[in-house]
Amino acid sequence: MARNAVILAGGQCKWGVREAHLVDLFQEAAKACFNDIPTLKPKDVDGLIVASSYAGRCSFQVNTAPVIAERVGVKPTSICTRCDTLCAGGSTGIILATGLVQAGAADIVMVAGGEKLYTPQKWEVFYSELASVDHDWDGVHGMGLPPPFFALTAQEHMMHYGSTKEQLAAVSVANYNYAATNPVAQMQKNLTLEEAMNAPVVVPPLTLYDCCPITDGAAVCIITTDEIARKFTDRPLVYIRGTAQVCLNSVSANFPGAHLADWMHTKMAGEKAYARAKVGPGDIKVAQTHDCFSISEVIEVEELGFCKKGEGGDFCGSKQIEIGGKVPVNTDGGLLACGHPFGATGIRQGIEVMKQLQGRARHQVKDADIALTHNLSGANAEHTILIYGREPVK
Amino acid sequence: MAVLGIPILEDLYPSTMDMWPLEAKEFNRNWQFYENLKQGRLTTTKCKGCGLVSYPPRVICPECYSEDLEYVDLPKKGKVIVFSEEVKGVPLGFQSPLIHAVIDLGVDPARRVLSRIVNCAAGTLKRGDEVQLAVFEVPALPIDKGKLGTVMSERVFFAFEPVKK
Repeated sequence: MARNAVILAGGQCKWGVREAHLVDLFQEAAKACFNDIPTLKPKDVDGLIVASSYAGRCSFQVNTAPVIAERVGVKPTSICTRCDTLCAGGSTGIILATGLVQAGAADIVMVAGGEKLYTPQKWEVFYSELASVDHDWDGVHGMGLPPPFFALTAQEHMMHYGSTKEQLAAVSVANYNYAATNPVAQMQKNLTLEEAMNAPVVVPPLTLYDCCPITDGAAVCIITTDEIARKFTDRPLVYIRGTAQVCLNSVSANFPGAHLADWMHTKMAGEKAYARAKVGPGDIKVAQTHDCFSISEVIEVEELGFCKKGEGGDFCGSKQIEIGGKVPVNTDGGLLACGHPFGATGIRQGIEVMKQLQGRARHQVKDADIALTHNLSGANAEHTILIYGREPVK
Repeated sequence: MAVLGIPILEDLYPSTMDMWPLEAKEFNRNWQFYENLKQGRLTTTKCKGCGLVSYPPRVICPECYSEDLEYVDLPKKGKVIVFSEEVKGVPLGFQSPLIHAVIDLGVDPARRVLSRIVNCAAGTLKRGDEVQLAVFEVPALPIDKGKLGTVMSERVFFAFEPVKK
């Protein structure tokens, strides 16, 4: 009989432009995580999964897991490794930790994600982004930095479904306003629709607030079993009910949808995760979706089944993603306002839904019992979904 | 040529900072793609076993795992389905305007190829415009041949450009 996996605790350091080294950020986030669960000590942790994609390029450090283990004071005996799925690295780490603790191959696993992206010379991280997509076939065309790709995506959504710039701006406004009081977010300010509509152009139709920033940061969470968790906490337990990770292509020419706004691989990942979690889109009370760009959130709410395909613009533009709406989305500020240190993002999302399901979130969704997190990574090459709940799958 | 802050790298070539593919035969079993490109041909591989045409080219067929592949030509002209234009903030290695387009070359698996559009002024491209293959030289690959010294291996790459009306 497989054991039930739960997310026990989590924390993140201040995200933004940080005067710090990669390993400093991991230490700060580990401290924040242990502050969240004072009964748990580093010596209790028997596994470590590190999610970091740019350690090799921006910090000249590969084989990152032992480096981080030593710095954060854990001595793993069941697993000590790194995973690299770029923007989905943190979620991938949680999926792997879930499998290990369910199988009995590990008991208490720390999942730690982080990136130091601001280098002494500003050109370097932008140049290194050529490695984020298929280097020889997409990076070489200047597709490393994602705004052009998502500008094409937004144009095709507007062409096929009639979404508007104002609906994109509504996503940025909602997510910035969620983050305005989040002390660890990169962007802590309220945003008005007028400001969002009049922002400087990046790649049309995308303007400044449609795009997530470059971010230094780290986040850490603990995955264990429900039985072990009860020894450390009286809080409601938050179970990982179902997961899925779908990859159908890498090179953009092989994009699986009919056009760039048809994310059939997101839908496929959602359907698989829902089936494993034994829930449906209508059961999701709060979600953290991958708003690397405002248009992404518009398409994600469609493909995840929160509204019909093509109606994501209306859904986001009519406040359905805000508290009191049909499915509040990115309630801590999302990538747009929290920032996006790639490997840390999925852990940030997991921490936010854990707090929502425990009733202690900053923007609390009433009676939240089932929640979803989602990442896309690469040139929209992979989709990763986790579904969390107050009860295990029976 | 000085390397700011890293004197030991002066006049050395770090492939980890090369934005272009390592196209030479010594480093790439798909070197024929780039040789064909030098002849003005856009090609990819077709499996002689199951007939699958893959893009980009492979050394094994992803469908039947045959290693018996041949290069076939892709059309050199296509139509712009949708495009984006970046004028300010173009990243290192590219000139403004940096234009990207999804191009329909009219055959599978090249009905939605994403390419850079070159030789095109900002604000002039339109959806539905016809574009053609443009091959250009990129910096040669310096290969350390031991006692023979460093041999420069010529390289090209491709984009598409508007067909002049």
